[in-house]
Amino acid sequence: MQQDVKLYARGITKRYGRRTVLDNVHLAVGAGQIAAIVGANGCGKSTLLRICAGLAGPDRGTVQVHGTLGYCPQDGGTVDFLMPEEHFLLVGAGRGLSRGASRDAGRAGARALDWEPDPGVQARRLSGGTRQKLNLVMAGIGEPDVLLLDEPYQGFDRGTYLDFWQQLYRWRDRGKAIVVVTHLLTQLDGVDIVLDLTPAGVRP
Amino acid sequence: MRKTLTVAEMALREIARRRSVLAIILLLPLAFYLTRREEHLGQSIRFVFLGLSWALSTAALFAANAARGMEPRLRLGGFQTWQLVLGRLGALWALGGALSVPYFLLIRFDQHNVRYGSIALTMVLLTLVAPLFGVLLAAVLPRELEGTLVLLVVVGLQMMMDPSGDASRLLPFWFSREIGTYAVDQTGADYLARGLVHAAVMLTVLLAAVGIASAVRLRRRGHLRLAG
Repeated sequence: MQQDVKLYARGITKRYGRRTVLDNVHLAVGAGQIAAIVGANGCGKSTLLRICAGLAGPDRGTVQVHGTLGYCPQDGGTVDFLMPEEHFLLVGAGRGLSRGASRDAGRAGARALDWEPDPGVQARRLSGGTRQKLNLVMAGIGEPDVLLLDEPYQGFDRGTYLDFWQQLYRWRDRGKAIVVVTHLLTQLDGVDIVLDLTPAGVRP
Repeated sequence: MRKTLTVAEMALREIARRRSVLAIILLLPLAFYLTRREEHLGQSIRFVFLGLSWALSTAALFAANAARGMEPRLRLGGFQTWQLVLGRLGALWALGGALSVPYFLLIRFDQHNVRYGSIALTMVLLTLVAPLFGVLLAAVLPRELEGTLVLLVVVGLQMMMDPSGDASRLLPFWFSREIGTYAVDQTGADYLARGLVHAAVMLTVLLAAVGIASAVRLRRRGHLRLAG
């Protein structure tokens, strides 16, 4: 693996029973690149991302990651009864950050999405879109080298959706390798790599 | 250590905010105690032990299940599996301690001619074992309903099975019955010894099982190679 390639997934194959979801998929993402994984529902986008994160195992293939990983799931991934700032502290502790640094990193990430977390509101009381903002902010705490984002914009309004892409571009400028699962094609001209997982026979 | 303490702190904060659950957990052993207080004071102490073990196991089951979605990403984000497990257990052990104290005081002032030291010892052991049992159930039975039903069966069996039978020793809280008998009926030290051995074995087995189940669930898959 070349030094500037941060994520290299090679020959990923995944089957559920007799159904092959991923068939010999390759993906290499370098520092300062955004890769978009696109495709129809059920074509294995989230599965590939989970495999890249090491949260699911493939039937065949390997994933090499150079550096640290940040992962934003499609849903879940937060604790209902904790406040957003407590999520920042928890994630920051894992990254070896002090409480102050964790809080600052979380608040800065929230500001980038035009969100000011209310200190008295638990995660379960947040709207779907705000909860996803929390999810995304958590993924970026500690400046991981590789960011794996699974449709993190669900529930975002249009303004936040644009803020989200601006945040991705900022991360890219800071040299991060970013993989984002999406089925929205409007932003594809802003990414560096497009991996279409739609099976050949299904493509229009 | 800071990572483990942060997990424990957040787990405690989370549990502390489930006020209705806390109220039920706090009152459950009291209900058990009062059912037998009028007719058999000693039996009511054994029922408190049962209520405590059920309450703490259930709290642990739900707390561990609530953390299932978060733990894989925390593991990815720099936590070791043992830090996540120990942090959560630490919080649950603290909860168990806080829950046991008022019941010890209740027994201390409501009951006479019993061995208070052994009652305190049983509560300490229950505080250690019961959360482990709940966390283990959550690890192997990911759906809360399944775990709750198993807990119900275990506590029901503990209530109904003859404690002198060999099969009852397989139950995780059998030791509380033995040490309870030693404390209430002033029996010989063999009851205490059997109870202590059983508690030690259960503690060891459950700790190992929780460790293994968590390590398997939160393992880094072999296909992923991290460098740098």
